[in-house]
Amino acid sequence: MKVNEVPQDETFYEGVKRACYALDNEGKYIIIPSSGWSAEEVVNGLAVDELKNKLEETRMDVIKGLKSPLAYHMEQRQMTPEILAKTAGMFSFRVRRHFRPEIFAKLKPSVIKRYALALALTEQELKSVPDTIEER
Amino acid sequence: MTTETTASGKHFIHHHAAHCETGVTSALLRDQGIDISEPLIFGIGSGIFFGHLPFIKIVGLPITTFRSQPGSIFRKAGKRLGVKFVTKRFRNPQKGMEELRRVLREGNIVGLTVNIYWLSYFPRRFRFQFNGHNLIVLRETVTGFRISDPVLEHPVDCLTEDLERARFARGPLESHGFMYYLQRIPQTIDIREACIAGIKDTCNMMLKIPLPILGIRGMRYLAKKIKSNPQKLGFDEACRHLANIVRMQEEVGTGGAGFRFMYAAFLQEAADLFSSADLARISVEMTSIGDLWRNFAVVSARVIKQRGGLGDNIDKVSELMQECAAREEKLFKNLQDVVRKLKA
Repeated sequence: MKVNEVPQDETFYEGVKRACYALDNEGKYIIIPSSGWSAEEVVNGLAVDELKNKLEETRMDVIKGLKSPLAYHMEQRQMTPEILAKTAGMFSFRVRRHFRPEIFAKLKPSVIKRYALALALTEQELKSVPDTIEER
Repeated sequence: MTTETTASGKHFIHHHAAHCETGVTSALLRDQGIDISEPLIFGIGSGIFFGHLPFIKIVGLPITTFRSQPGSIFRKAGKRLGVKFVTKRFRNPQKGMEELRRVLREGNIVGLTVNIYWLSYFPRRFRFQFNGHNLIVLRETVTGFRISDPVLEHPVDCLTEDLERARFARGPLESHGFMYYLQRIPQTIDIREACIAGIKDTCNMMLKIPLPILGIRGMRYLAKKIKSNPQKLGFDEACRHLANIVRMQEEVGTGGAGFRFMYAAFLQEAADLFSSADLARISVEMTSIGDLWRNFAVVSARVIKQRGGLGDNIDKVSELMQECAAREEKLFKNLQDVVRKLKA
């Protein structure tokens, strides 16, 4: 890749630039900051959309009363039940059980507090889902 | 390049780097007056690799890697250069933060391994649950810490609570607040000998590991898998898998083409060090293999976007990867012959 071939497409970098190694006119490698690449955008977009759709699905499930808000907030933090369990300091089967709304509703305040800490949310935020999905 | 002051009042020069681990290691050494670039660290620490791990999955997708395992570049480069690092892990986050402050007050700059999701100075889409990101802490500020993150162009500020969360995040590969700083540098550093050790190790890893999923054999295995995926999984699912490979190749701070360009830069520097025309030739070939990987990414993205229109199809993608495998195999065999003749 030559210096003038380093892609400078408008993508999802939000103004940040990533370093790319490219050859200058004398055939020497130097670092060129790149604002993004459209090919990368395609594959990243696919992954981001997938997460978004899944998150929206979970949000609807919570509204319908099929899942507890905990499931939504875990996904929103891109965690798995295993990661959340470790962070909150409990077993993962217990976390999975708390995805059932009727069980989640009866949780002790101390357990809610542990989840709120683990997910960096307030206890109020943890007990409900927002009206639209927020990115992070 | 930006200049910053550290806790001891010394100047620290921030270099923009492609990859976090190599960037941090090179910055820690540069701060001590050893002029060693990111690609040199990458080559000496045997960073370049290939592997496809079908049994380890993230969001249901198997892992494809273009580099050796996290942490190994730092470890190997340190060993081969004879540089001694102090490394620490903690059970208790409070103790970990106190120790960080103490070491900063002593005038050191400190490398940390952290979870990238909790670092809010990154753009949203850079952040995901991954526990292997590296950065350097320069000094404590009123609200947090001054950070030199080699992946970014300039140093940034980070809140104390963000950094504590990032250091002690749980999950796969958790770092337990891993921190490291230079203890001792030897009086003479033999970069040439370290380069030879690094290249030899790389050739062995790429050519000699007797498992069909690692090194060149891994590429061939994955190329075949890409070809058969549409029948096995359906076209959409095959595209998801393909997209994930391209993400691993381009997105995770590789400097382009899954670290191939960075390795070409290393070979170029090594060629100068040894005044070797052979190494220079191999560097040129590595660059053109890198271009081929970029082409692989472009064609893959087209296939994914257009769902196989315009004559591009998954078979062609698979052929491109086979070609990469064939050319890399030739290159590393060649490199192995050349490195035997080099003298430190």
